[in-house]
Amino acid sequence: MAQQPERLDGVFLALSDPTRRAVLGRLGAGPASIGELAAPFDMALPSFMKHIRYLENTGWIRTRKTGRVRMCTLEAGSFEAVYGWLSQQRDIWEERTDRLERFATDPATNQEKE
Amino acid sequence: MTSTANPALDLSVSRVIRAPRSVVWAAWSDPARFEKWWVPAPTICRVLDMDLRPGGGFRTEISDDGAAFEPHISACFLAVDELERIVFTDALVAGWRPAESAFVTSIITMRDHLDGTEYTATALHRSGADRERHERLGFHEGWGTVVDQLARLVEAH
Repeated sequence: MAQQPERLDGVFLALSDPTRRAVLGRLGAGPASIGELAAPFDMALPSFMKHIRYLENTGWIRTRKTGRVRMCTLEAGSFEAVYGWLSQQRDIWEERTDRLERFATDPATNQEKE
Repeated sequence: MTSTANPALDLSVSRVIRAPRSVVWAAWSDPARFEKWWVPAPTICRVLDMDLRPGGGFRTEISDDGAAFEPHISACFLAVDELERIVFTDALVAGWRPAESAFVTSIITMRDHLDGTEYTATALHRSGADRERHERLGFHEGWGTVVDQLARLVEAH
């Protein structure tokens, strides 16, 4: 139970920055070059590239150089990992509550306490 | 609690259980009863520690064969309000001692309902990043937007 979140830390942390969130939001509309992605930000390119590398290292995006342009593409896998993990936690709690409900409403197990 | 809700990290499960609050509370607070429902059969749960008071330890083990047990929960109760609320976290162990790792704070609430007991379990998960920093960066608004955008994208595939 404790291992998965450790692995997901980087994925979550990548979303803690507004520049990175904006980049992911933009890439949601389709692949884009580094130049296009950097354009809206008043930021030196090396600083911007740090964000790109962060997103790449945490598995949010893929980059590929075609000619002189580096194109970025969103990796849906990270989103699914975050979402999948949370829905897995939800299932655990739903099923746990089902069992509590069955247990608490079963007359045989609760006779003496009522 | 609502002010810090983060839909991408928190989850809440609510249910009306057709049993009196005292029975639901007993199912939670009596280790012998708790062991019977906390994990899905055939896995067996064993309560080592259920010291229901703030700072009290909460430890369980699980086993698939009834012979070899492995640690499951290692936590500390933060708040215990008889028949109403149980809050615990794995960020601490007994006596509020910091734990090796932190993952979740769980809030269990029970309320009277016409049909029995309204039971709610809320889990607040760690994001891995400093909360104050999140707020400064507008984390809470931004997260939802990104998740929505990505959800649409993933669903479109």
